[in-house]
Amino acid sequence: MQVYKVYFKIIKSNIIQLMIYVFVFLFLAVILSSTYSDPIKTDFTSAKVNIAFINEDEDSILLNNLKDYLESHVNFIALPHNEKSLQDALFFRQIEYIVRIPKGFTKSFLKSEKVSVNITKVPESTSGIYMDTLINKYLNTARIYIESENDMTEKELIENMNTDLSESAEIVMLNSAVENDTYEKCAYYYNYLSYSLFAILILGVSAVMMVFHNKDLKKRNNCSPLKLKCMNFQMILGNFSFTMVTWILMIASSFILYGSFMFTSKGLLFIMNSFVFTLPALSISYLIGNLIKSKNAMSAVSNVVSLGTCFISGVFVPQAHLGDTVLKLASFTPTYWYVKTNNAIADSIILNTDTLMPLFYNMLIMVGFAVAVLVVTLVIIKQKRGLA
Amino acid sequence: MVISVKNLTKRYGDLVALDHFNLEVGEGEILGLLGPNGSGKTTAINCILSLLKYEKGSIDIYGKPMAPEAYDLKRKIGIIMQNVAVFEELTVYENIDYFCGLYISDKNKRRSLVIEAMDFVGLNDYGKFYPKKLSGGLLRRLNIACGIAHKPDLIILDEPTVAVDPQSRNNILEGIQRLNREGATVIYTSHYMEEVEQICTRIAIMDKGKIIATGNKEELKAMINSGEKITVEIYNPENRILTDVKNLPHIVSAFFHDSFLTVKSERDKNNLMVLIDYLKTRQIAFGKIYSEPPTLNDVFLEITGKELRD
Repeated sequence: MQVYKVYFKIIKSNIIQLMIYVFVFLFLAVILSSTYSDPIKTDFTSAKVNIAFINEDEDSILLNNLKDYLESHVNFIALPHNEKSLQDALFFRQIEYIVRIPKGFTKSFLKSEKVSVNITKVPESTSGIYMDTLINKYLNTARIYIESENDMTEKELIENMNTDLSESAEIVMLNSAVENDTYEKCAYYYNYLSYSLFAILILGVSAVMMVFHNKDLKKRNNCSPLKLKCMNFQMILGNFSFTMVTWILMIASSFILYGSFMFTSKGLLFIMNSFVFTLPALSISYLIGNLIKSKNAMSAVSNVVSLGTCFISGVFVPQAHLGDTVLKLASFTPTYWYVKTNNAIADSIILNTDTLMPLFYNMLIMVGFAVAVLVVTLVIIKQKRGLA
Repeated sequence: MVISVKNLTKRYGDLVALDHFNLEVGEGEILGLLGPNGSGKTTAINCILSLLKYEKGSIDIYGKPMAPEAYDLKRKIGIIMQNVAVFEELTVYENIDYFCGLYISDKNKRRSLVIEAMDFVGLNDYGKFYPKKLSGGLLRRLNIACGIAHKPDLIILDEPTVAVDPQSRNNILEGIQRLNREGATVIYTSHYMEEVEQICTRIAIMDKGKIIATGNKEELKAMINSGEKITVEIYNPENRILTDVKNLPHIVSAFFHDSFLTVKSERDKNNLMVLIDYLKTRQIAFGKIYSEPPTLNDVFLEITGKELRD
C-alpha cells in the first residue's frame, strides 16, 4: 500500500490550504444559516386590518355589535368623514377598507328588506377579501336568525349571534415554525456544503494526482513492478478515504449546529443525500486531477467548477429564482440534483413512499454521474499510461 | 546474456531516433553507452524499460521478452533516471522506503535495505530531510538510493551525474563500481567520456541512433589511426612551423588553435622528443607542452568527423 500511504503524506503537506477551506466554510455556514430566513413561509398568525367605519345610521344594537365583532379583527382608524380624506387615506394605505353604513340600514335589515353596506377597498387586496368575509359572515348570520325567528328581539338576536360567531376553529400546523426554520437552515447549510466539499475535494485530489503525474515520477513508477490495477485501486481507495474524512468533518459540524434535528428522518435524509453527492464530487475531482498540470490551474479549476456549479444549481440563489435555461444547464451537474433533493427534503411534510421515491431517484442520478465520470477517468488514465 | 537488443527501430515522426540498434550486455558488466546529446541513448534506455513503443526489433532481458506487463523482469531492474524522480512531500528516508516498497513488501527487510541504501550513498545524516533542503549532489545521491535500495540484479543509470559537483560525482562513480563488485550488471549512459573510461568494462559508442563501435577502452582506441597528441604553446605561431612539423616522421596531423600547436602522431609512435628537438634547433620560443594518449573523443572524432560534445 505504498501509493495509499504516500497519498496521505501529500494531503498532509497541503493540509493548511485545505483547512482554510474547511474553516471558511464552517464560519460562513454558521453565519449565513443562522441569519437565513425564508420570507415566504411563516407560521399562521392573525393580522388586523386598518379600516374606517362610518355609521350614517342610528346607533343600533345590531351595528354596535358589528363594530364590537369587527374590533377583534381590525383597527378602527378615526378619519374625517369627507370623501377626499377617506380616499387619500386609502391611497396611502393608512386604511385598507372603508365600511359605510347607510341611513335606515338597521330598520330595513331587521325587516328582511334588501339592503347593503357601502364598501370601498384597495382593489384585489387580501385584506379586502378578509373584511368582506367578516362582514358577510356577521350579516348572514343575523339574517338567518331574522328570517327563521320572526318574534326574536334585537337583544336575543345579538346574544345568539355572539354565541355562534365566537365559535372558532383550532389551527394545528403539522410542522411547527421552529421545526420548519431549523429544516430550512439545515437545508441551507447542506446546500452550501456542496461548494466547500467540491472545492476541498478538487484541491486535495488534484494535489495528489499532480504529484503522481509528475513526468519523472510517473516514468519511475512505470518502471517498477507496481501493476496499473493495483496503483488505480490504491489511488481510488486514497481518494475515497480522503473524501470520507472531509465529509465526516462537515457532517459532524451539522450535528453541533442542529443537534437532535440531525437524528430525525429529515436530518438523516440530508446526511444520506450529502453522502451520495460526495460520490460524483469525488469522481469529478479525480477526473480534474488527472487533467490539470499546474498548481495555478488547480486553484483556478477548483474555484470555477465548485463556484460555477453552485451558482447555476441554486446553492447561493434559490432554484425558484433561476431561469429555466440555467436550470436546464445545471441539470447536467450533480450539484443541481443535490440541491433539488435538499430542498425537497426541507419542504416535505410527510415522508412516505410517494415523497421519498423522487428523492431516491435524484440520488440515483447522482450515483449515475459518479459512475459515468469515473469510467471516463479510468479510460483517460489507461490511455495516458499507454506507451508513447 | 542479461540484455539482448536486436534491430531496434524507433521513430519520432520523420526523425529516426534508433536505427537498427543492436546491443548485448553480459552478466557482471558495466556497459557504458557513450554518445553526444541526441544520439539516442535515453530513447534506447526507455525502449529497453518498455516506457516507449518501438516500430521494429526485439528486447530480451534475462532471456525473456521485455514488455510493460513483464513485472517479474521489472522486479530485477533498478533504474536511475536522468532527472531526479523523488517526492518533494516525503523525507529522504520515506522516499527510499516508497521506491523500495514497490519491490519489497516485507517491512523489516525493507527497513534494513533502506538504511543500507542511505549508508551506501552517504545520506545517513539526512534521513529526515525533505528533498528541497538537499543540494544538487545530495539529491542525485537520493535518486540513486531510490533506484538501488531493493538490490536489483540489473541497474540502469541514465546520465546520473549531470550537474553534479566533483565530490558527489566521485561518490556516485565509486558507488557504481561497488554495486558491480557486489554482483550487479550495470548500464551507464553518459556523454562524459572520462566517466565512461573510468568505470566501464565495456563501452558502446552511439551516434544517430546506432552503435558505431563497441569494446573496452583499449580496443576502441586501437580502432583509430592516430596515437599520441602533443600540444605546444608557441609564442610566435607561423605557417612555416606548421609546414615543417607536418614533414616530421609519423605525424598524422598538425594545426594551430590560437597560439597552441596540436600535433597528432601515428598509433604507437612517440614524437615528443623529435618535436622538442625541432623547436630547439630552429630556436622557436615555446611555453607549455603536453602529451596525452588518444581519448574516446578522438575515437568518436575519427569515426564520425565530429566531437562528442558538439
